[in-house]
Amino acid sequence: MDSFGYLRCLFIALVLFAVPAVEARNDNLQVVVITNASVSSHALSTSQLRRVFSMRQLTWPDGQSMRVFVLNNKHEAHEAFCVGTLNMFPYQLERMWNKLIYSGLGEAPTEVASLDEMLEKVMTTPGAIGYVPSSIVPSENIQIIRLEEG
Amino acid sequence: MKYHALVVIFILSYCCKTAFAADNWNIHGFVAQGIIQAEGSNFVNDEGDTSLELTEVGLNATYRINNKLRIAGQAVYLNGGNRFANGPRIDHLFLDWQMYNTLDSHVNLYLGKIKNYHRLHSATRDVPHTRPSIILAQSLYIDVFRDVNIGSDGALFKGLTTNRFGEWEFNWNYGVASISSDQTKLFFADGASGELDLAREHQGSIYWRPSESNWQFGSSFVNATFEYEQGENDPFADGQAQTKGHYFNARYFGEYYTITAEYIRLRSIVNGLIAPNVYSDTTGEGAYLEGQFYFTPTLSGLIRVDIYDRNVEDRSGERLAAQGIPAYFGYMDQLTLGLSWNIAPKWRLQGEVHRVKGTGRLAPIIVPDIANNNQEYWNIWALQLMYWF
Repeated sequence: MDSFGYLRCLFIALVLFAVPAVEARNDNLQVVVITNASVSSHALSTSQLRRVFSMRQLTWPDGQSMRVFVLNNKHEAHEAFCVGTLNMFPYQLERMWNKLIYSGLGEAPTEVASLDEMLEKVMTTPGAIGYVPSSIVPSENIQIIRLEEG
Repeated sequence: MKYHALVVIFILSYCCKTAFAADNWNIHGFVAQGIIQAEGSNFVNDEGDTSLELTEVGLNATYRINNKLRIAGQAVYLNGGNRFANGPRIDHLFLDWQMYNTLDSHVNLYLGKIKNYHRLHSATRDVPHTRPSIILAQSLYIDVFRDVNIGSDGALFKGLTTNRFGEWEFNWNYGVASISSDQTKLFFADGASGELDLAREHQGSIYWRPSESNWQFGSSFVNATFEYEQGENDPFADGQAQTKGHYFNARYFGEYYTITAEYIRLRSIVNGLIAPNVYSDTTGEGAYLEGQFYFTPTLSGLIRVDIYDRNVEDRSGERLAAQGIPAYFGYMDQLTLGLSWNIAPKWRLQGEVHRVKGTGRLAPIIVPDIANNNQEYWNIWALQLMYWF
């Protein structure tokens, strides 16, 4: 068998290993997606949220600029949001941001230091979108986004 | 002097980030310095000595003109020894026009100096913290062609849409590029004094991320024509080279690991160049399989097997040997082991070792450096500290 033959066998073995792998999920913490009250969209699907938080969506359908706020990728609410809502791992999201930033295709989201800052930024920034644990009752000027299938 | 320049660039980039802290401006950058040795080859330097020629500094900015238009640019300074042309350059500088946008689809047109967005690492191969390893798989990301492969001047259409099968991404670009004299010498040999241009390049790619899945699949093609005009006292001749390539990639994202595979099949048709009236038509083939394993939130490991054959009809290099070139210039297979440690936010220390069989992807490509690459088996080790913002 030549080098390609060995590599092909190794790849098939890895695919068989990877496909049935059951991934751990952080089910403990429930997170809700919030926007500034100025946003006219009231519901988003998982795939739309993935586009928004992977920074490939710069404007809302009504033309308003979108401002995306995220917590540090070590924050448990960020992990719960990525895994539970977006169905992806925090490192995947970070890789996508890096690829967009350093290839010129996009911009980075704004990182906030705490849940209080997240609420304050989403409340005061027109077009803002973010997320908080569902146990936190959002203040006024914030709307909770309804999650749709898809 | 060189390092003084680096310090100045870095301080300037920080000042820019503060000065342009307005909503419409985004400034980012990176700086990385390493130590490397490629014993028994001319990969980094002709002597195979330990070297500090592993410097990468970059500064990038984007300016949002309005909801439809953006400008983006990036300048980098590189020093990689023999690996690629050293010095500063503009990597990308373009206008981004969002032509169509809904919450489910968008189409953008990019005009200017565009990066190559078709392979997994082609757009960020010069950005240290975005790479899985300091040296990428040479089958697909050969350092000799770094400047040619990173982008061209022209137009790119990029579309993204979601349907019930998942997320789909389409890229298509057309471009031209003039190639620096340093890059030309890396391709031919030191004596090449003529002018090499990328006369036209046409590339396309499609990526599919199936719904409810951690897989990603991609495929791309390239059709590029290079033209060479003989210089003074030039051992090479006027001529043309055409490359036609097909690529495939697959990726699986696990919680604690990522598995990546990429494949290349590249046909090269050469008319002239080496000497007047020379014609050759060869097809090279390569692939790599890579596993990244996340041991802890700050420590990850990498293992990669990478293979490349310059000519599918002469995988063992016997025909080269008949021409007086050692057979091991016909291929280059590489095993890589690496470790990556995020020592603090935005700081990373990365180290790796490579065991290499063959010299088929080393510069110069047209006239191989037989004197300095006199071993079939050779090694590389590298350690690099990187910071980004």
